[in-house]
Amino acid sequence: MEFDVILGNAGRAGLGPQAAIFALLVIGLNLHFGYTGLLNFGQVAFMLVAAYGTAITVATWGGSLWLGIPFGLGLCVVLALVLGLPTLRLRKEYFAITTLAAAEILRLLVRSSPATEITGGPFGLQAIAGSFYALNPIAEGRYGIGTFSYTANQLWVMIVAWVLVALAAALVFLLIRSPWGRVIRAIREDEDAAASLGKNVVGYKLQALAIGGVIGGLAGVVNALQQSGVGSESFGSQVTFMAYVVLIMGGVATTAGPIVAAVLFWFLREGVDSFLRQLSEEAWLPDLLADFLYDAGGAVSIALAGIALILLLKSRPEGIFGKRREGAADA
Amino acid sequence: MPERAPERSASGGAALPGGAKRDPILVADGLRRAFSGIRAVDVDHLEIARGAVTAIIGPNGAGKTTLFNLLSGFDRPDAGTWSLDGKRLNGLPAHRISRLGMVRTFQLTRVLARLTVLENVAVAAPGQSGERLDRALLRRRWRDQERQVRARARTLLQRFGIDHMADQPADALSGGQRKLLEMARALMTQPRLIMFDEPTAGVNPALTQSLLGHVRKLQAEGLTIVFIEHDMDVVMGISDWVVVMAQGRILAEGPPADIVAHAGVIEAYLGRAHGLEKGGATESEASRD
Ligand SMILES: Nc1ncnc2c1ncn2[C@@H]1O[C@H](COP(=O)(O)OP(=O)(O)OP(=O)(O)O)[C@@H](O)[C@H]1O
Ligand SMILES: [Mg+2]
Repeated sequence: MEFDVILGNAGRAGLGPQAAIFALLVIGLNLHFGYTGLLNFGQVAFMLVAAYGTAITVATWGGSLWLGIPFGLGLCVVLALVLGLPTLRLRKEYFAITTLAAAEILRLLVRSSPATEITGGPFGLQAIAGSFYALNPIAEGRYGIGTFSYTANQLWVMIVAWVLVALAAALVFLLIRSPWGRVIRAIREDEDAAASLGKNVVGYKLQALAIGGVIGGLAGVVNALQQSGVGSESFGSQVTFMAYVVLIMGGVATTAGPIVAAVLFWFLREGVDSFLRQLSEEAWLPDLLADFLYDAGGAVSIALAGIALILLLKSRPEGIFGKRREGAADA
Repeated sequence: MPERAPERSASGGAALPGGAKRDPILVADGLRRAFSGIRAVDVDHLEIARGAVTAIIGPNGAGKTTLFNLLSGFDRPDAGTWSLDGKRLNGLPAHRISRLGMVRTFQLTRVLARLTVLENVAVAAPGQSGERLDRALLRRRWRDQERQVRARARTLLQRFGIDHMADQPADALSGGQRKLLEMARALMTQPRLIMFDEPTAGVNPALTQSLLGHVRKLQAEGLTIVFIEHDMDVVMGISDWVVVMAQGRILAEGPPADIVAHAGVIEAYLGRAHGLEKGGATESEASRD
């Protein structure tokens, strides 16, 4: 058992682009769920729409990446309006179901064969991020120690991704401390009360949905850049649910919670994964168990992460950063 | 405030429903609302006098809250029109009606639990530029206004005696304090007309007296007040005019003394209105939640 390898893998994942992508996804979701009280079960749809919008612009239409990204993010605003306008004045459950269904429908749509000419169907789209990596100022090579290391291109995506994370977190922080933020928190607490005080509840919800959606869209853009392509398998609904896990772990309605929890989540997940992989290679282990760990390592690591989350929430129900007062956002 | 003459003298003692007021601020016509066939509100004509304290009384399920919901835009009538100072309110969403100067509270208090008491009041201030997305990001674009809003909110909290709780979450307030907070919050919107739904329900006698004192002061400041109340002592104590509802209809209205003298009204209030109403009583009794 080589613990330095495990630690290296865990650290690489914790600081890597995947963690940053999750942080973005969760910062957007936090604006929806944590601050506005919107039960968005389709956050991954914003990621998908932005990623595909970017990739289609480049790979299918031969456009520039720098047009594709704003186009993809613009689609997130459109998605927010399409999802929100018909449902946000109804009971919360309708919005929840609509977002979940929309995310699944979009995923099935982009991977369907009739859509192949545009979205690449089951094959996805590739080679879209050339102009992004062309800007990479970092010299070729590998940076870091042992398994805790990145290529120049990975490092470049990481830097951009974490800068976006910082900007998104700052944006949400500034919005929340403003009177605008006070209104959406009031809506979270009791939308009838907010309406009785003259606040246009649906309007504010739409604004929050669109902003959080665009931030989720940034996660999709980074994902597309990192893979230099898109594939529908990245956008299953389990991504949204993991985002909720991370959000609750870090503390709902906090600024640093989503970021720290995303890092911790990927650190633990990759650490446990790496540990199990190594364990399955140990000679003393019965073959059956070794095979199981080898095959089901991913599932086991997620289960272990789940147990860790339960333990954490038992001792700190409000999450790592949450204040008890505002922590446990009601569903 | 010349129009603020109490209606006690103005309208005489006729306990007839739908009477005209000398200077009505709110007028409703033909308001109807049925829930699965059961008429909750069926008001032919109602006028609320400006500057008066009007009490709405009636047995449980009489349709008082539903009437408030309709007037304030929280529910849609099946038919009818109503207007505030001549401005038609039909079809307007609740927040627009509130902005026009008619604010309501809820029968079950609805404080913003995880906002502080001060935030609960501050959020109600109208016309805050920092509530607009294009202004919110830059603090200097709303800092001065925010300072004024907070100062005004503090003054209101002081007035209602809960300023010592200003920085606590509203969750921490007692039931009576929540009623006070709702009043302060409603006032923060700078309304012309306030509608209180059972302001004294579940409030201890001492606090009830203080709530009534506040209502009187609001009237003295020129506000029009409509409130739903079950406690006849309270009704007699502060109202200028009483509207009696039963089974969705306005049974009678008049000055409190006349209403009390009107035996049928008392019966209706005690829930023995069967003889007065032409049918429907048993049906309505059965429909009660
Ligand atoms: N949302 C609703 N759905 C179905 N029925 C309703 C609804 N709201 C009110 N009702 C019915 O309408 C009638 C009037 O109810 P409302 O709440 O207006 O009475 P109220 O006079 O305020 O009574 P209380 O003194 O108990 O508060 C009742 O029969 C009630 O059951
Ligand atoms: Mg009621």
